[in-house]
Amino acid sequence: MERKLNAELWDKMHYLFRDYNDRMVHVRLDYDFVIDAEKLKTVLICFFEKAPVLHSSFKDNKVAPYWTVKPYRIDDVFTVSTPDDIDEAADEFLTGYIPPDSDIQMKAALFIKDGKSTLCIIENHMCMDGGDFKYFMNALCENYNNYVEKGISPIDVREGSRSYEQVYNDFSRTEQRMAKNLYKNINAKDDHCFPLTPDSIRDKSFIAKRKIGREKLSEIKTQGKRLGATVNDMLLTAYFYSLYEIANYKESESVCISCAIDLRRHLKDVSDEGLTNHTAWMQCRVPERGADIFQTLKYVIRSSNQFKNDKFMGLYGLPLLKLGYSIMPHAVSEEIIKIGYSNPLVAMSNIGILKADKLALSGHEPVDGFMTGAVKYKPFVLLSATTLNGETTLSMCVRGNDEDKKIVEHFFDLMEKNLDELAAQQA
Amino acid sequence: MADFIEYLESAFNGEKDDGTLYRFKRQTLEKMNERANEITHTGLRDDKVLYDLVVSEFSDLKKAYAEFCEKDRLRKRDSLVNKIMLIGTPAVALLSVTIFLAVGFLTDLWSPAWVFVPDMILLWTVFLLSEGIRRITRLRRLYHPIARVMLALAVMCVTVPIFLILLSVLEVPKAWTFVPFGVICIYVADAVYAFVTKQKLRIINYLIYLPAVAPMVYVILGGLEVVPWDPGWLIVIFAVIADLIIVLAKAISNSRYKYRPEVDAAWSES
Repeated sequence: MERKLNAELWDKMHYLFRDYNDRMVHVRLDYDFVIDAEKLKTVLICFFEKAPVLHSSFKDNKVAPYWTVKPYRIDDVFTVSTPDDIDEAADEFLTGYIPPDSDIQMKAALFIKDGKSTLCIIENHMCMDGGDFKYFMNALCENYNNYVEKGISPIDVREGSRSYEQVYNDFSRTEQRMAKNLYKNINAKDDHCFPLTPDSIRDKSFIAKRKIGREKLSEIKTQGKRLGATVNDMLLTAYFYSLYEIANYKESESVCISCAIDLRRHLKDVSDEGLTNHTAWMQCRVPERGADIFQTLKYVIRSSNQFKNDKFMGLYGLPLLKLGYSIMPHAVSEEIIKIGYSNPLVAMSNIGILKADKLALSGHEPVDGFMTGAVKYKPFVLLSATTLNGETTLSMCVRGNDEDKKIVEHFFDLMEKNLDELAAQQA
Repeated sequence: MADFIEYLESAFNGEKDDGTLYRFKRQTLEKMNERANEITHTGLRDDKVLYDLVVSEFSDLKKAYAEFCEKDRLRKRDSLVNKIMLIGTPAVALLSVTIFLAVGFLTDLWSPAWVFVPDMILLWTVFLLSEGIRRITRLRRLYHPIARVMLALAVMCVTVPIFLILLSVLEVPKAWTFVPFGVICIYVADAVYAFVTKQKLRIINYLIYLPAVAPMVYVILGGLEVVPWDPGWLIVIFAVIADLIIVLAKAISNSRYKYRPEVDAAWSES
């Protein structure tokens, strides 16, 4: 008999985002040894069996959508190859796309060359967000190690509910009622956008990256501490400042950047939860560019602190979305939510630290790597940031052309320049 | 797989097998083998991992067995009730007619004796409806409105025989007041059902039912001369006022859960 899984609120929301991005989350990890592909296959099979949503097909039912669990073969999920150019092969794989009605929702590739391996994985954001994808990668590596070294079966992965309502679990009853009454449309109504070229049928997905070295990151952290700012605030400030510059906004214009926030902050323990999405947006707004970048930083700190002080940070709008999806058939509710929802044009997602020791395979820590969000369709952009081995990788996934690549590279130049300026005031 | 049999046997080692346990073990073994085949088909080659993976999906066998027993009990009960319904329906029809004829011929009281026929059939209908309500309530909330309609019919089927007895057998004056009382019972039963099954937005039901019930109460009390007709109409007004009080109380109660965020200004800015 066909096995069905409930389509959770965030599954439906990310499905709605199909007009804005390709919904793929990407990760690349480079190792200086050859990973045992057969063992990794076994671990992946176990994970797929433990998280059936990964081998399910999304059915866009007009009344109530759902997932149908599908049979699969691991060779359709995981491929091993020995390309001449690993970067080219990895980029090609990472910019791939998995349709939601496909039988599998995650694909992995292992590229081996000169005694080194590169592991790349893409997955449908409808299944899980960056927070859980990070957990997935950590669990994958831990289970691989235990399996290879101790012969322990790789079945230690989280299972449980994928419902968005899990975020309320650790609140008291009163707090739960309060949080569930937060009917608020939290959209960022801001028309400022990233200056990319107009859409074209010839556009192709690409992932642009820029590294912030260990020393520079250390300087930014130290300077941030001195100024009462987090690394996130510093990155965001540079983002704002660069945006004003690259898009030629007037200095007096107020601009908003939406930042992804992990709603797991409201949970003490997530060990009995399934792999899912628990992400919301925080709107960070500066009233003007500011006389200099430090003025911008003050605006950013003020704006983000307003949110950080809020007990129910990120939970606004959830009850409204729930109501929207509950009272009407899916096809109707999608149209109505589309009217009220405006996807942020400019956004940032600081995925955070990828812990090298947790991602070590057979005692080998990854020498390089990054995780990044979905490929956005113009005019939407998302700047992702991940930190591995003390280095931060800024990345932007865009469906665009060579001109867009140049614009994004120029943007990264400006980011670097502005981060240098922020870090330089140390003395 | 022999290992699965060992696993099942060891999990219930020493437990008395009354047939139910055997059926549970057989069913679980089939499921485990089916899962093992599915997983093998994906390309898994390590038998130990396969065993551990399948067993991890059937880790709490005691709980699964308890659920199986409960389902089995319900299945047996449903099966018995189905038989009773099948045999009972013609039996009740036959019995009611027989009693009616017997009482009629023996006592010559044909007039009130006819009440046996509709009353017994209606009470049997109540049993059938209550069984339907019980089964539908076990289903998803989507089907609960059907159960609520059936509940209204069941209440009607209880009140009509009582009304007939009051009217024809006991010849109670003003027996007609039992008709609006029956309508009140329908509203009350539905409100109780909504409360017990924790229906969402049941407060709206209560708010509608209160002014709907009030005219019935007015008619009953007026008819029984408990309350004079003239100021008695105030009952309806009181019901509307009660509605307003409930709405107000609910609003005050909910205001305790209104969170005033520090970020209100920020949202406004956005």
